[in-house]
Amino acid sequence: MKPIFARGISNQFRLTLAIILSVVLLVANHRLEPVRQSLSSLLSPLQYLANVPGALLDWSAESFATRNMLAVQNKELLRQQLLMSERLQRFEHVRQENERLRALLGSPVHLDSRKMVAEVMEVASDPFHQYVVLNHGARSGVFVGQPVVDALGVVGQVVEVSELTSRVLLLSDVTHGLPVRITRNDVRMVANGTGELDEIELRHVAKSTDVRVGDLLVTSGLGNRFPEGYPVARVIEVATEDGQNYARVTAQPLAALDRIRYLLLIWPGEATQPEAAAAAPADRPAAVEPAEGQ
Amino acid sequence: MNIQAANGRMAVWVTLFLGILFQIMPLPEVVESWRPDWLLMVIIYWAVALPHRYNILTAWVLGVALDILLGANLGIRALALSLVVYVVVLHFQRIRHFPRWQQTLLVMCLVLLYHLVIFWLEFVISGAKFEPDFLLPAVSSLVIWPWLFLILRRVRRLYKVR
Repeated sequence: MKPIFARGISNQFRLTLAIILSVVLLVANHRLEPVRQSLSSLLSPLQYLANVPGALLDWSAESFATRNMLAVQNKELLRQQLLMSERLQRFEHVRQENERLRALLGSPVHLDSRKMVAEVMEVASDPFHQYVVLNHGARSGVFVGQPVVDALGVVGQVVEVSELTSRVLLLSDVTHGLPVRITRNDVRMVANGTGELDEIELRHVAKSTDVRVGDLLVTSGLGNRFPEGYPVARVIEVATEDGQNYARVTAQPLAALDRIRYLLLIWPGEATQPEAAAAAPADRPAAVEPAEGQ
Repeated sequence: MNIQAANGRMAVWVTLFLGILFQIMPLPEVVESWRPDWLLMVIIYWAVALPHRYNILTAWVLGVALDILLGANLGIRALALSLVVYVVVLHFQRIRHFPRWQQTLLVMCLVLLYHLVIFWLEFVISGAKFEPDFLLPAVSSLVIWPWLFLILRRVRRLYKVR
């Protein structure tokens, strides 16, 4: 059966074909999104399979946890819950006050958006980019460009969706840019990733801009991708050098990008609380009328 | 005869499948950059053993699959794998008769070539910065290859893959 004199196409021809096909793929990469999505859905069982050892380890760590460890964890969680609920009481008061003030000004009231918890799957990704793979995909309504946050701040955005998984680009990746503003004085900037997990940079900041170490950066909502007001990073260094046109500002992301496990997917347009949406317009006309009278 | 051939083909694809699986398996942070190139080595083995059946286009298809799984630009690993396998297929007879240590060194060089091609393409496309870490897999592949070779040869003989 073994062909000693292999006829048919030569190796050179095969190589040329492979190179041409690869170059076509490389050039058309962005137009191939639908193809990629369906192929990726086809291959996602492999990802689930590769995730099994990690999941098993997690499971065994959980099931072999001692009673003592659980008690300690429980105590810590109770403590946190108490702190959080106290904060929430104040938050509720502030939220109502804010809504009333906004109604006075006649500006639209902010709505809560739909959220979903997703788990990070432990599979390897392209070492040249900073990705994580989530265990929810198009079937759960995940879409490309969707904002992703964790308990502390913005994590990144979805760049690729398959049927059962999705890929998130972290905000520290070199190709990621995020419109932010400083909470202290509302100065707007764009935060770019540097490729380091614990560092992002703000480019093209004029030397005279009022930025200080310790300033909190939140999403500005410009760019229509991230909803406004999610914390992003804290400024850790402001360097102005004489030779440079701009100040060099670096910040540290608030989200713990090196140990993310559970993330929140956000649907910015969709409200979870219809009663809040219904209540807002009812309040507004009464408040707006005096403004119109002037 | 037919059943045997089908079994053999199946065995090869199972090893390639396992190669992909090991390639995307999670590893602890410390050893992540040392991940050997399982898929590449498995393809090299089959290209040396059966160059008329498993060659450049097989490598290309597997490369596309790997690109999709890793979330990279389509075509990067496809191109790198086909280039490496081209070199292997050209010299398969010589590689077969190399002493084991020489073969291992050659595999290391091929892994280096593979990573340099990938880095170069990433550099052209998205301006990646070069870090010596990218070449660590060559070292771990050097250690793994002799053992992988023995296992795959066993598979080949057991299933009489021809």
